[in-house]
Amino acid sequence: MKNADVSMGGSAPRMFMVEESPPTKKDRGVSYAFLMPTVILILILSIFPLVFSLVLSFASWDLSRLEGGVRFIGLQNFATLFSDTRFWNTAKNTVYFVGGAVALQYLLGLGLALLLNQEIRFRRFFRVIFLMPMMLTPAAVGYVGRMLFNESMGPLNDMIKHLGLPIVPWLSNSKMAMPTLILLDTWEWVPFITIVLLAGLQSLPPEVFESATVDGASDWQILRYITFPMLVPVSITVILIRALEAFKLFDIVMVMTGGGPGTATETVTMYAYTVGMKSGNLGYASAIAYSLLVLVIVFSMIFLKSLRGHAAAAEG
Amino acid sequence: MMQLTRRQTKKAKSFITHFLLVLWALVCLFPIYWVLITSFKHPIAVFQGPKYFPWIDFKPTLDAWIFLLSGPTSAAVYRSWANSAILATTSAAIAVIIGAMAGYALTRFRFYWPGLKWKNNNIAFFIISQRMLPAVVVILPYMIMFRIFGLIDTHLGMILAYTVFNLPFAVWILRDFFAGLPVDLEESALIDGANRFQAFRSIVLPLAAPGLVATFLFSLVFTWNDYLFALMLTFSKASTLPMFIAGEGTQSYGPQWWYLSALSLLSIAPMILISLLVERYITRGLVVGAIK
Repeated sequence: MKNADVSMGGSAPRMFMVEESPPTKKDRGVSYAFLMPTVILILILSIFPLVFSLVLSFASWDLSRLEGGVRFIGLQNFATLFSDTRFWNTAKNTVYFVGGAVALQYLLGLGLALLLNQEIRFRRFFRVIFLMPMMLTPAAVGYVGRMLFNESMGPLNDMIKHLGLPIVPWLSNSKMAMPTLILLDTWEWVPFITIVLLAGLQSLPPEVFESATVDGASDWQILRYITFPMLVPVSITVILIRALEAFKLFDIVMVMTGGGPGTATETVTMYAYTVGMKSGNLGYASAIAYSLLVLVIVFSMIFLKSLRGHAAAAEG
Repeated sequence: MMQLTRRQTKKAKSFITHFLLVLWALVCLFPIYWVLITSFKHPIAVFQGPKYFPWIDFKPTLDAWIFLLSGPTSAAVYRSWANSAILATTSAAIAVIIGAMAGYALTRFRFYWPGLKWKNNNIAFFIISQRMLPAVVVILPYMIMFRIFGLIDTHLGMILAYTVFNLPFAVWILRDFFAGLPVDLEESALIDGANRFQAFRSIVLPLAAPGLVATFLFSLVFTWNDYLFALMLTFSKASTLPMFIAGEGTQSYGPQWWYLSALSLLSIAPMILISLLVERYITRGLVVGAIK
């Protein structure tokens, strides 16, 4: 398999490019003195581990007997993976989580950005408060979630009871546990989408909106036919970044459900951790981790490809 | 039917906007409020069902805080807090320095790597793509390498791991920042006989101070909040606050809510302070500009 990063580096998406003030001087020695510390660190502690991990995924190595050495077993890890129902369940859970969380967060984030972009009082105050959740330690947030969603002593079910509604089995029901995790993750990460979309809204040219208002367009028409199409490029970026993070889901699940009930909320990263650390099966854990990497790369490529066409259409 | 005038519509719209904003602000604040009041509840009061208002439906007590800061686990609490602080500040500082150099190089020099046909933008994307891949892929090899080189559960090992974790982000943000800085000042310093490093240190870095501070704070937050690296690479000497929280929270006897709330606040409170500081930079569009 070709190293995925190298191939990604070859075709940098437009959004990652900086065009202002083009490079001026050509003094090679100095330029590499500035760049090399970063490149060397990344080669040793990012690229080498990536290759190491790939090699490991074709091997069998026991964590408790590292001196025992590596034994190459070809594709056996991947063959096992293919028929491992627990792995497919974690893959399904992860995709479910990414889809649900990112969709919900984008809708809420867009709504909040539109609200914040109007003439409002205490703008700074709202912005500070809205930003806060994304700064908080996920392990602690997961724990707070456990308190809030506790079925008998948590405040949420208590409020629901006061409204006369039946209490919700937030974490004990295997069908509810994932939506509950999505809700908590949404609480933490809507801020990120909100601030990026708000910046996007504020960079739109005001003339367009003025002329649309003069022409008698309704608020909904302006949003649907003017604002939203112009936000598509920023939206693609923010959804991609958030999805890439969501694929790594680990800390809040570990604290909130530990993967349960049963394996209803176990994610790929958790499974790789369990296999690698708890069972000490480094080769198989690497195969699991690499399959997540492949999943993420395939997702990004499909996402960028299918949406870049739409973005171009919206711009044109 | 009553016809609304334009002013009335505008007023109604403004009212709904503010109502929704206040509603979301409450959603944002409630969990923080809840963990705060729970940390002042008596252990028994926690189990009597949800209580919402101190002095009204429960009597606040400092029991949890006294237990946390002077009880049998206090030594571990102080140690993990100190570890988190040391690892986060050190690795964020190193990432900012090295990242600033790379970010500067990528905006002021022209690179071309013939073998790969990479130019500046490709190199920059290669660097940032390291941040996007799932960390679990590199952590397993880290675990093996750290064991072989005796870096497991050490500050040095964790600082290395976190520096590389933060570096792509630092390069990304600072490259964008340097691209927006005028080159005239450093050019004239270079003509006056300063070398690149002198110009970088005495002219570029001071101009970039806001960007450096913002990058430092964001890297600090990422590291402070990390759980996965700490879980895989430390177990006692260098273990951090999130590990301690997760470890206590999953004890088999069930979570001690009052105590764990106080513990969570030790981790959350510094981040709330930092979020007040970084809001300025985000408003300026610095970080967001880099994301776009």
